[in-house]
Amino acid sequence: MPLYIVNSKAGAMPADAKAKIADDVTRIHCDVTDAPPTFVHVFFFEEAAMPPLGDKTAMLYGQIRAGRTDAQKAQIAKEMAEAVSHHAKIEPGAVHAFTTDTPASWVMEGGDILPEPGEEEAWLAAHEAKLAKQGANA
Amino acid sequence: MTACTCMVQEGQITAEQEARLREETRAFAERHFGSAGEINWVCVPEGSGFTAAKPSTSVIVSVRSDRPLAPSAREPLLRELEAIWREHAGRGADEVVSVITDPVG
Repeated sequence: MPLYIVNSKAGAMPADAKAKIADDVTRIHCDVTDAPPTFVHVFFFEEAAMPPLGDKTAMLYGQIRAGRTDAQKAQIAKEMAEAVSHHAKIEPGAVHAFTTDTPASWVMEGGDILPEPGEEEAWLAAHEAKLAKQGANA
Repeated sequence: MTACTCMVQEGQITAEQEARLREETRAFAERHFGSAGEINWVCVPEGSGFTAAKPSTSVIVSVRSDRPLAPSAREPLLRELEAIWREHAGRGADEVVSVITDPVG
């Protein structure tokens, strides 16, 4: 978590745009929130049920940890919509991006409940130490 | 029915593993939330999944609780769900994301 889903009309998302968009989405999320890149998942679909496309050509939907400010969420949506538009060569008005909040305590990755925003550094250090210890004992 | 969404990367789960994961996830939902899981199995097309901006090997399984859960009640359920997926999907520790959401509304 976060999980970003990019849904687009059939044929609208060039295969070579996906890695570039995933790069940008990961960078933007980490720049805005200080989260580690390893948390960031970006999945692409065509004509999926969620998020509904409506009259848009591409829709980006992010499930992010609760606790970000409205300004952070607005920045994420704006910059990610621009990245999708730029790399997929879709008119800016035909791309929409939005996020919803998921409490960190609802999510487990690698055997640990995700940290609250701002507690990532300590969490990551403890998590990596735990995995290293498990590896040493395996 | 308990809503369960399972997102996997194309080509990484065999048909046999999928059948077992569906069965185990359905049973997990019934055991803890009172009704069998209704599985929404989502396969991320090859070349379309990224984690940390690299090709993803992650699975994400999300189950909706039938009641609001306190952290002390949710954590062991997340741990059990993750263990099911690590075992039957053959994934490593950092490749399974498990989510248990409260009911909507």
